[in-house]
Amino acid sequence: MTEPLLKVENVVVDFKTATGRVHAVRGVSYEVARGETLAVVGESGSGKSVTARAIMSMLAENASVGADTKITFDGEDISEFSEAKMQRIRGNRISMIFQEPLTSLNPIYRVGDQVAEIIQVHRPMSKKDALAEVVQLFREVQLPDPEARVNQYPHEMSGGQRQRVMIAMALANKPDLLIADEPTTALDVTVQAEILSLLKALQKSHNMAVILITHDLTVVEKTSDHVVVMRYGEVVERGTTADVFANPQHPYTKHLLASEPKGLPEPLNPNATPIMQADNMRIAFRIAHGSLFSRKSTDIVAVNDISLCVRRGETLGIVGESGSGKTTLGMAMIRLLDANAGTIEFNGQRIEHLTRKEMRPLRPRIQVVFQDPFSSLNPRMIVQQIIEEGLIVNGIGANSAERKELVAKALEEVQMPRDAMQRFPHEFSGGQRQRLAIARALALNPDFILLDEPTSALDLSIQAQIIELLRDLRAKHDLSYMFISHDLKVVKALCHNVIVMQNGNVIEAGPTSEVLENPKSSYTQRLVDAAFNVVAA
Amino acid sequence: MTDHTLNAEEIKPGVNLSYWQLVRRRFIRNRYGMVGFFGCVLILFISVFAGFVAPYHPETKDRETIYSPPQTVRIFAPEGGLTHPYVLGYQEEMDPVTYEITFVPDPTVRHDLALFVKGDTWTFLGIKFETHLIGTTDGRFVHFLGTDSLGRDVFSRMLVGTKITMLMGLLVMGASCFIGTLVGVSSGYFGGRLDMVVQRIVEFVKSFPDLPLYLALVAILPRRAEPMTIFVMFACILVLLRWADLSRELRGKVISIRSMEYVRSAVAVGASDGRIIRRHIVPNTSSHIIVWATYQLPEVILLESFLSFLGVGVQAPMVSWGTMLNQVRDFQSFAAAPWLMAPVGMIVISVLAFNAFGDGLRDAMDPYSND
Repeated sequence: MTEPLLKVENVVVDFKTATGRVHAVRGVSYEVARGETLAVVGESGSGKSVTARAIMSMLAENASVGADTKITFDGEDISEFSEAKMQRIRGNRISMIFQEPLTSLNPIYRVGDQVAEIIQVHRPMSKKDALAEVVQLFREVQLPDPEARVNQYPHEMSGGQRQRVMIAMALANKPDLLIADEPTTALDVTVQAEILSLLKALQKSHNMAVILITHDLTVVEKTSDHVVVMRYGEVVERGTTADVFANPQHPYTKHLLASEPKGLPEPLNPNATPIMQADNMRIAFRIAHGSLFSRKSTDIVAVNDISLCVRRGETLGIVGESGSGKTTLGMAMIRLLDANAGTIEFNGQRIEHLTRKEMRPLRPRIQVVFQDPFSSLNPRMIVQQIIEEGLIVNGIGANSAERKELVAKALEEVQMPRDAMQRFPHEFSGGQRQRLAIARALALNPDFILLDEPTSALDLSIQAQIIELLRDLRAKHDLSYMFISHDLKVVKALCHNVIVMQNGNVIEAGPTSEVLENPKSSYTQRLVDAAFNVVAA
Repeated sequence: MTDHTLNAEEIKPGVNLSYWQLVRRRFIRNRYGMVGFFGCVLILFISVFAGFVAPYHPETKDRETIYSPPQTVRIFAPEGGLTHPYVLGYQEEMDPVTYEITFVPDPTVRHDLALFVKGDTWTFLGIKFETHLIGTTDGRFVHFLGTDSLGRDVFSRMLVGTKITMLMGLLVMGASCFIGTLVGVSSGYFGGRLDMVVQRIVEFVKSFPDLPLYLALVAILPRRAEPMTIFVMFACILVLLRWADLSRELRGKVISIRSMEYVRSAVAVGASDGRIIRRHIVPNTSSHIIVWATYQLPEVILLESFLSFLGVGVQAPMVSWGTMLNQVRDFQSFAAAPWLMAPVGMIVISVLAFNAFGDGLRDAMDPYSND
């Protein structure tokens, strides 16, 4: 192997917080050579991003770096560099791509100017020359119509395009090292594949070293040469990607590798009766536009004439990219949103015309689990209060002692300890919070649960556990699910039937195995490719 | 279920703090905020136990000394060495040309100071007390901050004035918080036409030029009414113009909370609007309300002093910092007795203390900070 470009040794980072010192990174070492991709894998909170920020010396104010930390970049120890000296390196020789393309671009400047600024900071040249170079860069990152893009604002672009701009920005000064911090997590699966293959191609043509920080093992397998597995701020395993995947040594790595969602749903009873049925659902949002004196309003159709049926014990998957109308449809079906037209039938009873008050008796039987477990639990209530709320509102359980027992039972169902009751949501991790959200739904003993991307905000290994939990609960309580997701891998493990949506329309519907194996439309084909073979060839 | 030792998300052992415990920890680490906090506690203590802390009743007149300057506390005996703290009496001298009376400390008249001395009666919760924190052993007057035109002790009046000023501040703050929260939360939560109407009213209230309106409103208060009536009506006028800010701020916050998923899950379990507002919306705006309130108090203090100084606020015989300053309106009395400006010091101290406390609270309650 050649001399490594970047060598980090014994990185220690502590954060001073109100609750004491947090040891985020404890003695991490790794190295990466030119032209090589190093994947840093770990779950949220494992310290992988903090280490990368320590390299760039971009840590938060309350962080302190250990005395023995040594970061050697191209033969120089940059951990001792002054802020001014680091500024010359950042964005010039080492660049970074962040997770969220929406917030890492400044919304009030044109994207061309933002990229040109990076060039001009490090290399004195006229604005015109810089912009010409930006066009070149945009062409390189395969942004369609680069001359026009230069004058666009970030909000005029899609998430994938914005991430391409970020990559162009990172490449602007031909860096030797590129740190990509979960560059595709916030993007749709189909876009993710494109971005990753772009990164791979650019790395080859520029002969860069790349540190790819991710929690997605499929990405690691397809894109990296070496891998470092981190947990609780320490490296638990390192090696070439092929070796680690073929022969994992540390039990944690084995656990991560085994955490892909597996298995299939139990077969569905062919005589099952429909429990939730929707016919000709149409939902449109009215957008007002035009000038002051000529107001116009346009209907944006989010759900266009969709009919579906969930039978008792069935799990119906609804799949599509963001903006395809899948969540809107789901929320309308459980009457958290009003539909413009269509009928909804729950257990033989028409519910589309019921008022909120009239819906109340049905609420315990129709439940929902939201996507983001961080905003779905009230931060000011303890777990007991959160789960108990539905019981109180619906008059379940005669007194508080009885209700407490029901809460404990619901917690047990989702495999959470009983003493979780007295704690606040912020003390739990994402996966645990999602378990609590499921417990809140389960406590009411529902027949039908709408699952709105319940796993997409979670780390991969936790996703698998939640999927398994959902599957067990379904069998145990004879539940019916409507499962909204963009990840076909999860859908395959959980759903009997699937509906593929695009722009408010159903593209394809049928039994999951059939749709996945023989996709009829190119859109479905793309989703399948993205889920099962990440990097499009 | 997978092996638990490998589950990366075991519940972290160690301290588990509720939100308010976290806030308290963060606040205690903020030195400036803590200084402000103790300042606020001291001021509130003074306002509650003004009768005890002040050496005299605010209406007690020392007829021998009118416009007498502050007396310095001395601890060095004239013959040298430390001694019991004492003050010197004054000798009056009249300028034969201008007839101006000047006070010169008289080394022969010495009044020893003592703690917990008997003096004027004061009442607390209807019970009469005679003990005061500080006074002279021989029962003679001591004026740490001099006297005013009627020979009343400025120091005592200033401490007693804390009571009225703070009462005004708390009353206005409390009432405008209550109205602002009620209006802001319902406007933000229910939205639609109600929101439209309420927000136009808020804009109407906010578009008034403050000062002329205060003066105009105060002018219509009945002149001959009891001072207490005027005090309450004055408070009402302040409230009328103060609730609008909070309601506008809360409306925005409530709109963002309303779309949070925990509110939607409350709807999904069948909770009523009232329950959602009480259990989900208001608790999550409480930090904003509290911080707003601590910033509001110093503003009300300033406004009260200012309006009372102009003579349109609190009326004599009620004693507030503003009414005390009213006595130094003209240049002559300011030049002759600058110590009558002492309440300005109290105003500055209390405004700084409450602002520091509010700043500290705001930092400690920021849910995104963890340092």
